[in-house]
Amino acid sequence: MLKKCLSSFSGDYAEMRFHERKSTYIRMAAGELEDASYLKNAGVGVRALVDGSWGFSSTNVLERSAIESGLRDAEKAAKVASQNRTEKVEGLAGIELAKGTFRPVVNDPVENHSLEEKMNLVIEAEKTAKDESKNVKSAISVYSELVDRKIVANTDGAEFELHDVKPEFYVYAIASENGDRVAAAKTASVTGGWKDLWRRKEPQQLALDACDLASKLLHAKHAKGEAATVILEPSLVGLISHEAIGHTVEADFVLSGSITKGKLGQKLASELVTLVDSGNPPEDSHGTGNVLVDDEGVPARTTRIIEDGVLKSYLHDRETALMFETEPTGNARAFEHTDEPIIRMTNTYILPGDHSLEEMIEDVKEGYLMRGAGGGQADSNAEFMFEVDEAYRIEKGEVKELLRGVTISGQAFDVLKSVDAIGKDFLLDIGVGYCGKFQRAKVDGGGGAVRCKAIIGGRQEG
Amino acid sequence: MMLDVLDACKYAVKKALELGATEVEGFAAGGKEINVSIERNEIKMGKSQELSGIGVRVILDHSLGFASVNNLTKAEIAKTAENAVGLAKRAPPLKFNELPGVKPVRKVEGLYDPRSKDFTMDDALENATKLLKTAKDYDPRVTVDSGYFSADVGRSAVANSSGVEASEEACAFTHVILGMAVEADDVSSFDYRFNGTRRVDEIEVETSARALAETVVNSLGAKKTESFKGTVILNPNTVVDLLAPVIVFSTNSNAVQKGMSRFAGRIDDKVASEDLTVRDDGLIPGGLGSSSFDREGLPHRPLPIIEKGVLKNFLYNTLTAKKEERESTGHASGGISGPPRIAPTNLMIEPGDADIDSLIGETTKGVIISRFSGDPDPISGDFSGAVKGGYLVENGEKMSPIKETLVAGNVFELLNEISGISKETERIMSFIAPWVRLENVSVTSA
Repeated sequence: MLKKCLSSFSGDYAEMRFHERKSTYIRMAAGELEDASYLKNAGVGVRALVDGSWGFSSTNVLERSAIESGLRDAEKAAKVASQNRTEKVEGLAGIELAKGTFRPVVNDPVENHSLEEKMNLVIEAEKTAKDESKNVKSAISVYSELVDRKIVANTDGAEFELHDVKPEFYVYAIASENGDRVAAAKTASVTGGWKDLWRRKEPQQLALDACDLASKLLHAKHAKGEAATVILEPSLVGLISHEAIGHTVEADFVLSGSITKGKLGQKLASELVTLVDSGNPPEDSHGTGNVLVDDEGVPARTTRIIEDGVLKSYLHDRETALMFETEPTGNARAFEHTDEPIIRMTNTYILPGDHSLEEMIEDVKEGYLMRGAGGGQADSNAEFMFEVDEAYRIEKGEVKELLRGVTISGQAFDVLKSVDAIGKDFLLDIGVGYCGKFQRAKVDGGGGAVRCKAIIGGRQEG
Repeated sequence: MMLDVLDACKYAVKKALELGATEVEGFAAGGKEINVSIERNEIKMGKSQELSGIGVRVILDHSLGFASVNNLTKAEIAKTAENAVGLAKRAPPLKFNELPGVKPVRKVEGLYDPRSKDFTMDDALENATKLLKTAKDYDPRVTVDSGYFSADVGRSAVANSSGVEASEEACAFTHVILGMAVEADDVSSFDYRFNGTRRVDEIEVETSARALAETVVNSLGAKKTESFKGTVILNPNTVVDLLAPVIVFSTNSNAVQKGMSRFAGRIDDKVASEDLTVRDDGLIPGGLGSSSFDREGLPHRPLPIIEKGVLKNFLYNTLTAKKEERESTGHASGGISGPPRIAPTNLMIEPGDADIDSLIGETTKGVIISRFSGDPDPISGDFSGAVKGGYLVENGEKMSPIKETLVAGNVFELLNEISGISKETERIMSFIAPWVRLENVSVTSA
């Protein structure tokens, strides 16, 4: 039907995207089931390029007349926007667009597991986290899943159906003592099935780990602020790759003047560093950011953003790819049918090296071992600041005490220049939650562990 | 055929009761969005769409189930009611799960402007263009990464099995602008501004555009500073980003009851410097956080939260109020996609008696923060983040812009370290906040 609706279109380009999302969300907090929800969101998003400008509309009525009227609204919107646009959109880069049906690798589909099972798992995890330690008096556990089906057709020949399943789980334990409170989280998230979600750790173990970490953090000391040698485990490597590097190479951001503008071919990182974005990473990594075909119909590929330290590529949709005279990279993504595709990352990671974690620690006289990505932010100049869930001091090659309230910051490219060792164990590990850029997106990131120099934030005493 | 929002709610209630629900609530919203977006110094796209949907909350023998759908046809609503009942059947009970009864609701004025009906894509384009052009004209080094102007007109409704029935029309005209300044190899900190109104004749985008441009241009040529412990001056944006989230979280009765709030058991205690007064009022005519009824159909009421440094009240919805055998304060919040939560409406931090210049003039050594980059942990109150659009202050003088500078501390401790609040306030969406000066904050530089 979408193809038929497109047949009347006379502008430069149009696309229609049917997107049905069924999501489940179960949340347990302090012994109480706060949320047990099933949400359905379905409709058709229509985007048109007319007179060198974009227009968008959507409808939740799945009938031909409503979809055609959506196309007319998108055309009209494009024509209006075009009036005040000085430089018109020249066109879209050509590439073989997807045809057929695409499904992710799923071991044991989540649909085969009952609501009762998912609810009980969340209830048990919260109970475990709360009961395990006398210091943990409160805990939250959440299971959620997005089950997507898309059918996309556009006037440049894309015609495909895409299935996607992204379940996730986390436990958040809050330890307290004498009015002092501290929290710790453990997470699991994948594109894939039930078995894939628990492949590293079972939910009960995640609950125990969160509880254990929260009680230990309660008695941990704050770090002092200083520049230091740090070993970042894959979660933090992913966070820096995504937030501090990845956003600065999104072509829309490059065109506005991000720090990487005009720097293709320049050495911006240690030659040990090869940093990529891939919607279809090694199969067993089950990245939460997997996107087999993007919403413009471009099949997933592995884009080498930095290769052996040299900036090689930006991340493109078809519009920016034409502007840069290159190929689109499969990064045009829309969150729901009411959103238009924009340039988003998928799984962003540093390729593994040849060191074991033990070898990387051994050589450090004084420094920190860090794991667990907390909140934070990065800037257009690649300056970043992230909270670290778990930071340990390293002294003379040995891992010492746990510290709390630690942040890591710096200029991301300076940090990557200082990389002198990369670990061989590969992991994608930042898939829980969403990346925000006007719309939400599921993304992931990781790599091998990385040893580098960065600024540690803490309290300045006195 | 799509039902009207109130009819949709009533239909959901009827269907879920037929399926065995003890109590049911429908919350529906529908409306039209017109949006013109900006990207990389250009108008990017026009967007117009109609959206609608309903969330159905079912309580079955005190067990909760919730389902929603982005559609108001009878068939979809019936399926959604069935899904909610199905979830409730499987969920463990909680004896406080009950829906509220009817309370008189007074209409809040100024939420809907009849002129919004005639607001067109061309009008949205004019405002988006003004937003872009004002920032660009301020200084050629300004680059607008993205932004938009959006006009949203719609109606929301709630109905439950205890007789609550309410619906209301509202509109909002909002804008966002994000950008930075670029001069040769120097890329400034990125910054953003946003605001909005419910009145067509009050639409005004230039202030945000100029404020953004000024901040990013001034932060070009930023220098590193040294580490010290001293004074920090927060602009209203930073007050909203750094202090407000911790106050909002800690006064949420759900966090209090679940042992996550540092304010638990501290009503009538002094929790902040005497200068600090915080109120919430969801009844302000035309307020972006205002509405005639909350997510459960109950009226809002003005609520003192902190008065002269003393903690006065927590925010409740029906569930958390039942646990303490008290009344909801009318702070049930949320939309169609989840059960009601708790949130402030229009949150106001009262002005003080200092002017901005004297806050700076009295400072021996400190930092002015235009944007705090980082999330304070609302449970512990710990924060550590980067200073954006920051300036060094020495001997009462605003000095050079600074970069790669971190501030760290604890919000609960700093609430007692307020040494001045400005007379001037700014309205930022549903917040009203002044400038706030704090002492004994750790400032760390690279």
